[in-house]
Parts: sequence; C-alpha cells; structure tokens
Amino acid sequence: MDADAVAEDVTGGPPVGVAIVDDHPVVIDGVRAWLAGEPRLRVLATGDDPDVVLRDAPEAEVVLLDLRLHGRMVLDRLAELSAAGRRVVVYSEHTDPETMLAALDAGAVAFLAKHEGREHCVATVLAAASDRPYVPPALAGAIVGDARPDRPALSDKEREALLLWFQSMSKASVARRMRISEHTVKQYVDRARIKYTRAGRPAATKAALLARAIEDGLVRPEDIGIYRSQASADRPTP
Amino acid sequence: MSTESRTVGTGTAAPAIVRQRTPERAGPGAAATAAHAVGDASDRGARIVAVVIALAWHLAIGLPALLGSWSRLAAPPVVAAGWLVTAAVGVAAGVRLLRGGLPPARLLAVALLVVDGVVFAAAGERQLFTTANWVWGGLAWFFLLVLWRRPLSWLLALLAAHATIALAAVVLHGATAPADLSRYAMYVYGTSSLPVAVFAGAAAIAALARDRAATAAAALAVAAERDAAERARRDRQARLALVSGTAEEVLAALASGEADPADPAVRRRAVLAAARLRRLIAESDDVPDPLLHELRAAADLAERNGLPIELVAVGAPPELPVEVRRRLADPATAALAGARGWARLTVVAGPDEVVVSLVTPDHDGPDATGPPGGDGDGSVEHLHERDGEIRWTQTRWRRT
Repeated sequence: MDADAVAEDVTGGPPVGVAIVDDHPVVIDGVRAWLAGEPRLRVLATGDDPDVVLRDAPEAEVVLLDLRLHGRMVLDRLAELSAAGRRVVVYSEHTDPETMLAALDAGAVAFLAKHEGREHCVATVLAAASDRPYVPPALAGAIVGDARPDRPALSDKEREALLLWFQSMSKASVARRMRISEHTVKQYVDRARIKYTRAGRPAATKAALLARAIEDGLVRPEDIGIYRSQASADRPTP
Repeated sequence: MSTESRTVGTGTAAPAIVRQRTPERAGPGAAATAAHAVGDASDRGARIVAVVIALAWHLAIGLPALLGSWSRLAAPPVVAAGWLVTAAVGVAAGVRLLRGGLPPARLLAVALLVVDGVVFAAAGERQLFTTANWVWGGLAWFFLLVLWRRPLSWLLALLAAHATIALAAVVLHGATAPADLSRYAMYVYGTSSLPVAVFAGAAAIAALARDRAATAAAALAVAAERDAAERARRDRQARLALVSGTAEEVLAALASGEADPADPAVRRRAVLAAARLRRLIAESDDVPDPLLHELRAAADLAERNGLPIELVAVGAPPELPVEVRRRLADPATAALAGARGWARLTVVAGPDEVVVSLVTPDHDGPDATGPPGGDGDGSVEHLHERDGEIRWTQTRWRRT
C-alpha cells in the first residue's frame, strides 16, 4: 500500500491549490482533513457545482471531482473542464472499469476510488499538479482488463506490471516479483497510463500529460504512435 | 528474511476434462441447433410419405398400364427402359432422403427430363393421353423426391419443363385439335397441382416446427436465466440484510456512545462491515459466473471468521471447464484459510486469460497450502510467494 513520492519538484514552491467538488459535505470535510496533513497542498474552495467552485478559486491547479453530483454522472462536465485545461482528478465510488476508462477518455488526469485512502489521494493530486500520471491500483485493474477493440496496445511488461500492482498494491512486491527496481515498475505502469492519453477525444489535459511524459523521457513519441502529421495538432508547447 | 517458493504446474498427463454446461449458460447457438433437430424430425415424416407416394404410384399405376398396353406402344422397350431408369432414380433418391441427406438435385433432375422426352417420343401418338404413357402423371412425384428441401421455384421450373416437353410431343404427334389441347391443359394442371401442394406443405410444416421449437428453446433459456438471476438477487438480499444488521449495530453503538471509536475491536467490526458492504456494491453481474461465485463463497466464509476481505473482479471469465475452474480457485481459497489481518482477492479475466490472485500480509506461521500437485494439464499456472511483506498466491489460466 505504498504511494510514491512523486512530487519532487514542487517541494520548494508555493503549495498546490486544490478545489474539491462533491455533493456530500462529509466527503468534502474528510478529503479536506486528508489534504490538510500535506504541506504541499492547500484547499482553496469547495462546493457541489464545479462552475461556482472555480469562480471562487480560478487559480486552483487541481480539481478533485466527484463523478456523481446530485444523482447524475457528470462525465460531460468532466470533458468540458478537461478541454478547458483543468486538471481533474476524478474521485468516485463508481469503480466499475467502464466508468474509470470513460473518465480517462473524457480527459481526467487520474481516477481515484473513494476507498483507496489518503496516501493515494495525496500522491494523485501532487502528481496531477505537475501533469504527471499516477495510477492507483483500482485504475490499474481497469486498464489491464480493458477489452475494448480500440484500446491502446500495451507491452507485455507494462501489462504484467499493471496486473501485479493491481493485485498486490505494493510496488516493492511487484519489483521483487518481476526482478526489476521499483522505479522501473512505476515506469511501466505510468507508460501504460500515458498510452491512454491517445484514447478518446483529444483534451488539453491529455496533451499536457503526454508532453510532460515526453519531456521526462518516460515515453518517446514513436512509442505511442505520434507521427509528424499528428504531432503538430496534438503536442502543446510545454 | 524473504523466503520465496515458486512452483509452476507443468505436468504432461492431460486428464479428461469434463465440460459443464448448465442450462442457463447454453447460448442461443445451442437453442438454434435444438430447433433444427425438431425441424428435421418433423421433416422425416413428410419424406417417408413422399417416397411411398412416388414408388407406389410407379409400381401400382405406372407398371400395370405399361405392361397392359405393351403391344400398342410405338417402342415398348424404350418406354420400359425409361420406367426402369426412373425407378432407379426414385430408389436412390429415396434411400438418401430416408437417411437424412438430400439427393444430388441437378443430376437427377436432368436424368428425369431425358427420360421424360424419350418416353413421350416412344409412346406414340395413340398412347399419348393414356396411362401407358406413365410419365404424364407419375414423373412429377419423382421431381418431388429429387428436389426435396430445395426452393419451390426449382420444382415449378422442372414442372414447366415437363409441360413443355409434353406440349412438344402433342404438337409433333399432330394432336392439335381443340379437344386435344384442352385435354393437354387438364393433364398439366391435374398432374402438377398435387405434387406442388405436397412439396409446399411439407416445407411449410418443417419451417413451422423449427420456428416453434426455436421459440420454445429461447423461452426456456430466458426462464433459466431469470431463475438464476432471481436466485442471485435473493442471495444478495440475504447478505445485504446480514451486512446492514452488523453495520447498523456498529453505527448505533457508536452513536449512543456505547462503543469507543478508539477501541481496536470496534474499529475491526467497522472495517469488516464496510468491506462486506463494498463487496456487495461491487457485484454488478445479474447471473453470477461460476468462478466468481466460488470465490465469493470462499470470501464470505473467510469474512464470517473475522477476516476483512476485498474481492475485486475485472472482466467476465469465459466458460471454463470445471477442472480449470477448480485449479484457478482452489489455491486462493486454501490460502485464505491461513490469512491473517486482511486479504485482497482479485480476478482479471479476458476471453483468453484469467488470473486469480490472493494477497495477505506475511506472517511467521506456516503456509496453508503446500506446493501444487503435478497433475495439471499445463494450462493453469500456480505461483505462491512470500516476501516478508506479503503472501501472494496467483493462478493463471491461458487459452492454449
């Protein structure tokens, strides 16, 4: 149950501004309490309507969004926010694989199951703030079980790392099992996630994830099928 | 301090695998096959009738007329030879039909048309409209045999050819008086209508029987599915009632202040109730897959013994032989017996691969499961590891 220390380069700067959108005050209070223990994060605004919350805190760098607001799945709102460049971390109790993959397709930076706990929550938000992927175990399960005909092609190692991470929730154990370093396990998992930026409609957030992954050397453009003709349309200026 | 044992079942002896086909999992394909069988069975009766009519007509009406008018025929041996050829075609087609097959339609139809033309020519002008010219009335029944289960249009085309040959004979023999022509018309109508009716009727009855059987099979499949879904729903409701009860107790005790949230025992009760609720919510399948059903049962049992367990399934397993299912589920359920603290049971399934995994915290106690037996057929791989942090049991089936 380890969460990676992913936010090396935000330690020095000001804390990351977070907006929480949920229609249950108890959840907002709970998440706020979780994040309060992390000095690198600061909750700027909360509420049950993304428009209102973001009007209050337009500078929020990450939006934690409950996928179900007032009884309605808000995948459409998620797509709008992502298209506008908002880094949205979806936070939901709807953990069926279809919903998770649909959220990624709509442009969510990450998907967090509500039962996955504080460590994953903090790690996901910190990673999202720097346009880096974070794949909690539930999302790894959804990706490894993706049977859609147009799913991104993963390498055997990427699939195995995702599968074992989903099963064990321990990158150290996955590393021992695959006889590779924890760092490499994380690379395989993150690389699989980056391939999903090519699925579904284009979104500013997906482009940003992809650009950062290329910048970090996590993937090479040719690994994920970006050719010259598409590169100009898809690659933002970092 | 990390110990590791890694064993992979790689036996070569392939034990007989019993495929289990429960009614609710027999797909629409099976129903269609069954419906076909019913259609075939009802068609068999019609085949017997058609064969009996054709051969009886040939023997009881054609043969006596031929022998009785032998001397008055223009070329008796030719007419007789035609009779024999037709009898042979009839017997061959009949045998094939009664064995459930279909005769070679084109070949036999051409043979019959040749016989038709030859006999009309050899019967002679005076015997044209008598029963001695047996092809007039008898041949149509053989068309029926030869074209069994073929489109009705084929039969109509053959009868049209038959009528054209007869017309040619009538004209060439000079029987063109109005009385002859009207007789010709009556003959054509009289000899064609009955075979067409029998042919169309048999086809319609077979199609009807097939439809009805397909409907019945589909209705049965739906009913079986509904029963299984209903059973699953009742199971779930019973468990929900149980879970709600325990969850309510914990919540009520917390609310009234009887239970202290700081008390580890109270926390454990809360964790157990929450884990159970989460598993119930995660069950999204209407008719449980047998593998998931087994694993859920094992998880329920472990939970009743006080172990918080999480069961996450991704994807739907394909239909698996009982033996494969057993080899996938047994190591995990056995390892559950020795689990302490918590357990995470996962299933990732696709059409060609199913992976079951159980992860629990490692402890100093002995392994609950020994190494797997070497009696496998190699399609299910079994791994068991301890790394000081977790105990990890994984079984993996791949389609070979």
